[in-house]
Amino acid sequence: MKALIFDSGPLINLSMNGLLFTLEELKKNFDGKFLITEAVKREVVDRPMNIDKFELGALRIQRLLTKGVLEMASSVGVDEAWLKNETEKLMIAANGAVRFKSIAIKIVSDAEMSCLALSSFLNKKAVENLIVIDERTTRMLVENAQNLERLMSEKLHRAVKVDLHNLKDLARHKFIRTSELVYVAYKAGVTQLEGKKVLDALVYATKFKGASISFSEINELRKM
Amino acid sequence: MEEVEHKISVLEGTKQALLEKNASWLRELSNQTIHCASVHQDSGSIVTAVLVYSLSKLVERKDFAKIKGWDKMVHDLSELFTLAIKAAMENEEEEYNKNMGRAREVLDSFGSIKKYVDDVMRKAAVNKAAKVYEHGISLGQAASLLGLTNWELAEYTGQGKTAENKYNETISEKERAKTALDFFEVKE
Repeated sequence: MKALIFDSGPLINLSMNGLLFTLEELKKNFDGKFLITEAVKREVVDRPMNIDKFELGALRIQRLLTKGVLEMASSVGVDEAWLKNETEKLMIAANGAVRFKSIAIKIVSDAEMSCLALSSFLNKKAVENLIVIDERTTRMLVENAQNLERLMSEKLHRAVKVDLHNLKDLARHKFIRTSELVYVAYKAGVTQLEGKKVLDALVYATKFKGASISFSEINELRKM
Repeated sequence: MEEVEHKISVLEGTKQALLEKNASWLRELSNQTIHCASVHQDSGSIVTAVLVYSLSKLVERKDFAKIKGWDKMVHDLSELFTLAIKAAMENEEEEYNKNMGRAREVLDSFGSIKKYVDDVMRKAAVNKAAKVYEHGISLGQAASLLGLTNWELAEYTGQGKTAENKYNETISEKERAKTALDFFEVKE
Protein backbone atom coordinates (compact mmCIF):
# COMPACT_ATOMS: atom_id res chain seq x y z
CA MET A 1 0.00 0.00 0.00
CA LYS A 2 1.02 3.62 -0.60
CA ALA A 3 -0.28 6.85 0.87
CA LEU A 4 -0.55 10.40 -0.39
CA ILE A 5 -0.80 12.88 2.48
CA PHE A 6 -2.49 16.20 1.77
CA ASP A 7 -1.74 19.48 3.46
CA SER A 8 -4.60 22.00 3.30
CA GLY A 9 -3.12 24.16 0.49
CA PRO A 10 -3.37 21.56 -2.31
CA LEU A 11 -7.00 20.70 -1.49
CA ILE A 12 -7.89 24.39 -1.44
CA ASN A 13 -5.99 24.83 -4.69
CA LEU A 14 -7.77 21.95 -6.46
CA SER A 15 -11.13 23.05 -5.08
CA MET A 16 -10.70 26.66 -6.23
CA ASN A 17 -9.59 25.47 -9.68
CA GLY A 18 -12.47 23.01 -10.06
CA LEU A 19 -9.97 20.14 -10.27
CA LEU A 20 -10.97 17.98 -7.31
CA PHE A 21 -12.39 15.45 -9.76
CA THR A 22 -8.82 14.58 -10.80
CA LEU A 23 -8.32 13.07 -7.35
CA GLU A 24 -11.29 10.75 -7.93
CA GLU A 25 -9.83 9.75 -11.28
CA LEU A 26 -6.29 9.22 -9.98
CA LYS A 27 -7.59 7.18 -7.05
CA LYS A 28 -9.23 4.66 -9.40
CA ASN A 29 -5.86 3.27 -10.49
CA PHE A 30 -3.95 3.95 -7.30
CA ASP A 31 -3.02 1.19 -4.92
CA GLY A 32 -3.25 3.18 -1.74
CA LYS A 33 -4.96 5.93 0.20
CA PHE A 34 -5.32 9.69 -0.01
CA LEU A 35 -5.06 10.87 3.60
CA ILE A 36 -5.72 13.99 5.64
CA THR A 37 -5.21 14.70 9.33
CA GLU A 38 -7.73 16.24 11.72
CA ALA A 39 -5.74 19.51 11.71
CA VAL A 40 -5.95 19.69 7.90
CA LYS A 41 -9.66 18.81 7.95
CA ARG A 42 -10.25 21.76 10.30
CA GLU A 43 -8.68 24.08 7.71
CA VAL A 44 -10.30 22.66 4.58
CA VAL A 45 -13.75 21.64 5.83
CA ASP A 46 -14.72 22.56 9.39
CA ARG A 47 -13.68 26.22 9.50
CA PRO A 48 -14.58 27.30 5.92
CA MET A 49 -17.96 25.57 6.29
CA ASN A 50 -18.94 28.53 8.48
CA ILE A 51 -17.63 31.21 6.09
CA ASP A 52 -20.06 32.11 3.29
CA LYS A 53 -17.32 32.76 0.73
CA PHE A 54 -15.66 29.37 1.18
CA GLU A 55 -18.59 27.14 2.11
CA LEU A 56 -18.95 25.68 -1.38
CA GLY A 57 -15.25 24.79 -1.55
CA ALA A 58 -15.49 23.10 1.83
CA LEU A 59 -18.57 21.14 0.72
CA ARG A 60 -16.72 19.88 -2.34
CA ILE A 61 -13.88 18.57 -0.17
CA GLN A 62 -16.35 17.13 2.33
CA ARG A 63 -17.92 15.20 -0.56
CA LEU A 64 -14.56 13.52 -1.28
CA LEU A 65 -14.39 12.43 2.35
CA THR A 66 -17.92 11.07 2.22
CA LYS A 67 -17.12 9.16 -0.97
CA GLY A 68 -13.95 7.71 0.55
CA VAL A 69 -11.66 9.33 -2.03
CA LEU A 70 -10.05 11.18 0.85
CA GLU A 71 -9.70 9.35 4.14
CA MET A 72 -8.83 10.41 7.64
CA ALA A 73 -5.42 9.41 9.01
CA SER A 74 -7.13 7.05 11.45
CA SER A 75 -7.95 4.78 8.48
CA VAL A 76 -4.33 3.61 8.44
CA GLY A 77 -4.42 2.74 12.12
CA VAL A 78 -2.73 5.79 13.51
CA ASP A 79 -3.93 6.70 16.97
CA GLU A 80 -5.27 10.27 17.00
CA ALA A 81 -3.80 11.01 20.43
CA TRP A 82 -0.39 9.76 19.28
CA LEU A 83 -0.59 11.88 16.11
CA LYS A 84 -1.57 14.95 18.10
CA ASN A 85 1.30 14.39 20.48
CA GLU A 86 3.83 13.88 17.66
CA THR A 87 2.50 16.97 15.88
CA GLU A 88 2.98 18.98 19.06
CA LYS A 89 6.56 17.69 19.41
CA LEU A 90 7.34 18.64 15.81
CA MET A 91 5.77 22.08 16.31
CA ILE A 92 7.98 22.73 19.32
CA ALA A 93 11.09 21.50 17.50
CA ALA A 94 10.42 23.36 14.24
CA ASN A 95 9.33 26.56 15.97
CA GLY A 96 12.51 26.46 18.01
CA ALA A 97 14.78 25.70 15.07
CA VAL A 98 14.91 29.17 13.52
CA ARG A 99 16.41 31.86 15.71
CA PHE A 100 17.34 35.49 15.59
CA LYS A 101 19.74 35.97 18.52
CA SER A 102 17.88 34.27 21.38
CA ILE A 103 14.44 34.73 19.85
CA ALA A 104 12.84 31.59 18.43
CA ILE A 105 10.74 32.47 15.36
CA LYS A 106 7.52 30.53 15.01
CA ILE A 107 7.59 29.35 11.44
CA VAL A 108 5.03 26.53 11.10
CA SER A 109 1.46 25.64 12.02
CA ASP A 110 -0.03 22.43 13.39
CA ALA A 111 -1.64 21.34 10.10
CA GLU A 112 1.71 21.38 8.30
CA MET A 113 3.46 19.51 11.11
CA SER A 114 0.65 16.96 11.35
CA CYS A 115 1.49 15.94 7.76
CA LEU A 116 5.10 15.28 8.78
CA ALA A 117 3.97 13.36 11.87
CA LEU A 118 1.70 11.15 9.75
CA SER A 119 4.49 10.62 7.21
CA SER A 120 6.82 9.53 10.05
CA PHE A 121 4.21 7.02 11.24
CA LEU A 122 3.89 5.59 7.72
CA ASN A 123 7.67 5.49 7.27
CA LYS A 124 7.97 3.39 10.43
CA LYS A 125 5.35 1.01 9.00
CA ALA A 126 7.33 0.91 5.72
CA VAL A 127 4.40 2.44 3.83
CA GLU A 128 5.66 4.44 0.85
CA ASN A 129 4.25 7.94 1.11
CA LEU A 130 4.44 11.44 -0.32
CA ILE A 131 3.26 14.72 1.15
CA VAL A 132 1.45 17.15 -1.16
CA ILE A 133 2.18 20.65 0.11
CA ASP A 134 2.03 23.97 -1.71
CA GLU A 135 3.48 26.35 0.84
CA ARG A 136 7.25 26.53 0.77
CA THR A 137 8.44 26.93 4.37
CA THR A 138 7.84 23.34 5.50
CA ARG A 139 9.29 22.04 2.24
CA MET A 140 12.40 24.22 2.57
CA LEU A 141 12.90 23.30 6.21
CA VAL A 142 13.04 19.63 5.23
CA GLU A 143 14.73 19.76 1.82
CA ASN A 144 17.18 22.62 2.23
CA ALA A 145 17.17 24.37 5.60
CA GLN A 146 20.19 26.41 4.58
CA ASN A 147 18.12 28.03 1.85
CA LEU A 148 15.47 28.90 4.42
CA GLU A 149 18.15 30.44 6.64
CA ARG A 150 19.46 32.55 3.73
CA LEU A 151 15.98 33.59 2.63
CA MET A 152 14.88 34.66 6.10
CA SER A 153 18.16 36.46 6.82
CA GLU A 154 17.82 38.44 3.61
CA LYS A 155 14.14 39.21 4.00
CA LEU A 156 14.26 40.08 7.69
CA HIS A 157 17.58 41.96 7.44
CA ARG A 158 18.74 39.99 10.46
CA ALA A 159 21.23 37.13 10.85
CA VAL A 160 18.82 34.23 11.29
CA LYS A 161 20.21 30.80 12.22
CA VAL A 162 18.56 27.43 11.59
CA ASP A 163 19.48 24.53 13.85
CA LEU A 164 17.82 21.20 13.07
CA HIS A 165 19.29 19.09 15.88
CA ASN A 166 15.86 18.58 17.46
CA LEU A 167 14.27 17.56 14.15
CA LYS A 168 15.18 13.97 13.37
CA ASP A 169 14.66 11.98 10.17
CA LEU A 170 13.61 15.02 8.17
CA ALA A 171 15.26 13.69 5.02
CA ARG A 172 12.81 10.80 4.87
CA HIS A 173 9.89 13.10 4.02
CA LYS A 174 9.19 13.52 0.32
CA PHE A 175 7.16 16.37 -1.14
CA ILE A 176 5.29 17.23 -4.27
CA ARG A 177 3.07 20.24 -4.99
CA THR A 178 -0.35 20.51 -6.61
CA SER A 179 1.52 21.40 -9.80
CA GLU A 180 3.21 17.98 -9.97
CA LEU A 181 -0.05 16.29 -9.00
CA VAL A 182 -1.91 17.83 -11.96
CA TYR A 183 1.09 16.94 -14.12
CA VAL A 184 0.52 13.30 -13.16
CA ALA A 185 -3.20 13.72 -13.88
CA TYR A 186 -2.32 15.17 -17.29
CA LYS A 187 0.09 12.31 -18.07
CA ALA A 188 -2.51 9.80 -16.89
CA GLY A 189 -5.07 11.41 -19.22
CA VAL A 190 -7.66 12.11 -16.54
CA THR A 191 -8.04 15.88 -16.82
CA GLN A 192 -11.05 15.75 -19.20
CA LEU A 193 -9.24 18.31 -21.36
CA GLU A 194 -7.52 18.02 -24.72
CA GLY A 195 -5.06 20.08 -26.73
CA LYS A 196 -1.58 21.53 -26.65
CA LYS A 197 -2.30 24.12 -23.99
CA VAL A 198 -3.72 21.80 -21.36
CA LEU A 199 -0.52 21.22 -19.36
CA ASP A 200 0.34 24.93 -19.32
CA ALA A 201 -3.16 25.85 -18.26
CA LEU A 202 -3.24 23.30 -15.46
CA VAL A 203 0.15 24.15 -14.01
CA TYR A 204 -0.34 27.91 -14.20
CA ALA A 205 -3.74 27.52 -12.55
CA THR A 206 -2.12 25.73 -9.61
CA LYS A 207 0.59 28.39 -9.34
CA PHE A 208 -1.96 31.20 -9.19
CA LYS A 209 -3.90 29.46 -6.43
CA GLY A 210 -0.95 29.12 -4.12
CA ALA A 211 1.45 26.38 -5.29
CA SER A 212 4.92 27.73 -4.65
CA ILE A 213 6.38 26.91 -8.07
CA SER A 214 8.48 29.37 -10.06
CA PHE A 215 8.13 30.18 -13.76
CA SER A 216 11.49 28.51 -14.44
CA GLU A 217 10.32 25.32 -12.70
CA ILE A 218 7.16 25.41 -14.82
CA ASN A 219 9.34 25.68 -17.93
CA GLU A 220 11.30 22.65 -16.77
CA LEU A 221 8.08 20.73 -16.32
CA ARG A 222 6.88 21.66 -19.80
CA LYS A 223 10.09 20.32 -21.34
CA MET A 224 9.68 16.87 -19.78
CA MET B 1 16.45 48.36 22.21
CA GLU B 2 16.65 48.33 18.45
CA GLU B 3 13.10 46.97 18.27
CA VAL B 4 11.79 49.62 20.66
CA GLU B 5 13.37 52.39 18.63
CA HIS B 6 11.83 50.86 15.54
CA LYS B 7 8.33 50.78 17.08
CA ILE B 8 8.67 54.42 18.17
CA SER B 9 9.96 55.53 14.80
CA VAL B 10 7.07 53.81 12.98
CA LEU B 11 4.41 55.35 15.22
CA GLU B 12 5.97 58.83 15.13
CA GLY B 13 6.14 58.53 11.35
CA THR B 14 2.53 57.35 11.18
CA LYS B 15 1.33 60.34 13.17
CA GLN B 16 3.13 62.74 10.86
CA ALA B 17 2.17 60.91 7.65
CA LEU B 18 -1.49 60.96 8.71
CA LEU B 19 -1.35 64.71 9.27
CA GLU B 20 0.27 65.16 5.85
CA LYS B 21 -2.15 62.63 4.28
CA ASN B 22 0.88 60.90 2.78
CA ALA B 23 -0.26 57.45 1.59
CA SER B 24 3.08 56.23 0.22
CA TRP B 25 4.87 57.06 3.47
CA LEU B 26 2.20 55.19 5.43
CA ARG B 27 2.58 52.16 3.15
CA GLU B 28 6.35 52.26 3.58
CA LEU B 29 5.97 52.44 7.37
CA SER B 30 3.59 49.48 7.24
CA ASN B 31 6.13 47.45 5.25
CA GLN B 32 8.78 48.26 7.84
CA THR B 33 6.64 46.67 10.56
CA ILE B 34 6.68 43.29 8.80
CA HIS B 35 10.21 42.44 9.92
CA CYS B 36 9.23 42.98 13.55
CA ALA B 37 5.88 41.22 13.13
CA SER B 38 7.52 38.18 11.52
CA VAL B 39 10.17 37.78 14.21
CA HIS B 40 8.23 38.63 17.38
CA GLN B 41 4.72 37.75 16.21
CA ASP B 42 3.28 39.85 19.05
CA SER B 43 -0.19 41.31 18.79
CA GLY B 44 1.15 44.90 18.92
CA SER B 45 3.35 44.47 15.83
CA ILE B 46 0.61 42.64 13.94
CA VAL B 47 -2.01 45.29 14.73
CA THR B 48 0.42 48.06 13.78
CA ALA B 49 1.14 46.45 10.40
CA VAL B 50 -2.57 46.04 9.55
CA LEU B 51 -3.64 49.39 10.96
CA VAL B 52 -0.98 51.46 9.22
CA TYR B 53 -1.58 49.68 5.90
CA SER B 54 -5.35 50.25 6.22
CA LEU B 55 -4.73 53.93 6.89
CA SER B 56 -2.50 54.11 3.81
CA LYS B 57 -5.34 52.72 1.71
CA LEU B 58 -7.91 55.13 3.16
CA VAL B 59 -5.59 58.06 2.46
CA GLU B 60 -4.62 56.79 -0.99
CA ARG B 61 -8.28 56.58 -2.01
CA LYS B 62 -8.89 60.05 -0.58
CA ASP B 63 -11.50 58.59 1.74
CA PHE B 64 -10.74 61.34 4.24
CA ALA B 65 -12.84 63.61 2.03
CA LYS B 66 -15.83 61.29 2.35
CA ILE B 67 -15.48 60.20 5.94
CA LYS B 68 -17.32 62.38 8.38
CA GLY B 69 -15.15 62.93 11.44
CA TRP B 70 -11.85 62.04 9.76
CA ASP B 71 -9.96 64.75 11.67
CA LYS B 72 -11.30 63.55 15.01
CA MET B 73 -10.30 60.00 14.11
CA VAL B 74 -6.76 61.14 13.27
CA HIS B 75 -6.64 63.04 16.56
CA ASP B 76 -7.84 59.98 18.56
CA LEU B 77 -5.37 57.70 16.79
CA SER B 78 -2.55 60.15 17.34
CA GLU B 79 -3.27 60.23 21.09
CA LEU B 80 -3.28 56.45 21.29
CA PHE B 81 -0.03 56.24 19.28
CA THR B 82 1.52 58.70 21.77
CA LEU B 83 0.46 56.45 24.65
CA ALA B 84 1.82 53.40 22.80
CA ILE B 85 5.13 55.19 22.24
CA LYS B 86 5.33 56.01 25.95
CA ALA B 87 4.62 52.36 26.79
CA ALA B 88 7.29 51.19 24.34
CA MET B 89 9.85 53.58 25.85
CA GLU B 90 9.07 52.17 29.30
CA ASN B 91 9.19 48.58 27.99
CA GLU B 92 5.55 48.09 28.99
CA GLU B 93 4.67 45.60 26.27
CA GLU B 94 1.20 44.84 27.59
CA GLU B 95 0.37 48.54 27.72
CA TYR B 96 1.78 49.00 24.21
CA ASN B 97 -0.37 46.16 22.86
CA LYS B 98 -3.42 47.51 24.69
CA ASN B 99 -3.06 50.96 23.15
CA MET B 100 -2.53 49.54 19.68
CA GLY B 101 -5.61 47.37 20.17
CA ARG B 102 -7.59 50.47 21.14
CA ALA B 103 -6.27 52.25 18.05
CA ARG B 104 -7.58 49.41 15.93
CA GLU B 105 -10.96 49.71 17.66
CA VAL B 106 -11.09 53.42 16.74
CA LEU B 107 -10.87 52.48 13.08
CA ASP B 108 -13.04 49.39 13.49
CA SER B 109 -15.93 51.28 15.04
CA PHE B 110 -16.09 53.94 12.43
CA GLY B 111 -19.88 54.28 12.39
CA SER B 112 -20.78 55.83 9.05
CA ILE B 113 -18.70 53.54 6.85
CA LYS B 114 -18.01 50.62 9.17
CA LYS B 115 -18.53 47.98 6.51
CA TYR B 116 -16.18 49.69 4.10
CA VAL B 117 -13.48 50.13 6.74
CA ASP B 118 -13.94 46.48 7.80
CA ASP B 119 -13.32 45.47 4.20
CA VAL B 120 -10.19 47.63 3.97
CA MET B 121 -8.90 46.12 7.24
CA ARG B 122 -9.61 42.57 6.04
CA LYS B 123 -7.73 43.17 2.80
CA ALA B 124 -4.90 44.77 4.77
CA ALA B 125 -4.69 41.64 6.95
CA VAL B 126 -4.45 39.44 3.81
CA ASN B 127 -1.73 41.70 2.40
CA LYS B 128 0.26 41.60 5.64
CA ALA B 129 -0.12 37.81 6.00
CA ALA B 130 1.22 37.41 2.46
CA LYS B 131 4.19 39.62 3.42
CA VAL B 132 4.84 37.52 6.52
CA TYR B 133 4.76 34.41 4.30
CA GLU B 134 7.18 36.09 1.91
CA HIS B 135 9.56 36.52 4.86
CA GLY B 136 9.78 32.76 5.43
CA ILE B 137 6.94 32.03 7.84
CA SER B 138 4.68 29.18 6.65
CA LEU B 139 1.34 29.94 5.05
CA GLY B 140 -0.58 28.29 7.89
CA GLN B 141 1.30 30.22 10.57
CA ALA B 142 0.96 33.51 8.65
CA ALA B 143 -2.80 32.96 8.30
CA SER B 144 -3.13 32.09 11.96
CA LEU B 145 -1.20 35.21 13.05
CA LEU B 146 -3.49 37.50 11.11
CA GLY B 147 -6.67 35.61 12.04
CA LEU B 148 -7.29 34.48 8.45
CA THR B 149 -8.03 31.17 6.75
CA ASN B 150 -5.65 29.53 4.28
CA TRP B 151 -8.42 29.99 1.68
CA GLU B 152 -8.10 33.76 1.87
CA LEU B 153 -4.34 33.60 1.49
CA ALA B 154 -3.99 30.96 -1.25
CA GLU B 155 -5.08 33.13 -4.16
CA TYR B 156 -3.30 36.25 -2.96
CA THR B 157 0.05 34.53 -2.42
CA GLY B 158 -0.28 32.72 -5.74
CA GLN B 159 -0.32 36.03 -7.56
CA GLY B 160 2.73 37.39 -5.77
CA LYS B 161 6.39 36.82 -6.45
CA THR B 162 7.15 34.61 -3.46
CA ALA B 163 7.74 31.52 -5.61
CA GLU B 164 10.27 33.36 -7.75
CA ASN B 165 12.77 33.79 -4.91
CA LYS B 166 16.14 32.25 -5.79
CA TYR B 167 16.15 30.11 -2.63
CA ASN B 168 12.73 28.62 -3.34
CA GLU B 169 13.97 25.78 -5.54
CA THR B 170 15.21 23.07 -3.20
CA ILE B 171 15.36 20.10 -5.57
CA SER B 172 15.15 20.07 -9.34
CA GLU B 173 11.71 20.17 -10.90
CA LYS B 174 12.61 17.17 -13.05
CA GLU B 175 13.35 15.11 -9.95
CA ARG B 176 10.17 16.19 -8.16
CA ALA B 177 7.98 15.50 -11.19
CA LYS B 178 9.61 12.10 -11.65
CA THR B 179 8.97 11.27 -7.99
CA ALA B 180 5.29 12.05 -8.56
CA LEU B 181 5.06 9.98 -11.75
CA ASP B 182 6.85 7.00 -10.20
CA PHE B 183 4.64 7.15 -7.13
CA PHE B 184 1.53 6.87 -9.30
CA GLU B 185 3.24 4.46 -11.68
CA VAL B 186 2.41 6.74 -14.61
CA LYS B 187 4.80 6.78 -17.57
CA GLU B 188 6.61 9.95 -18.65
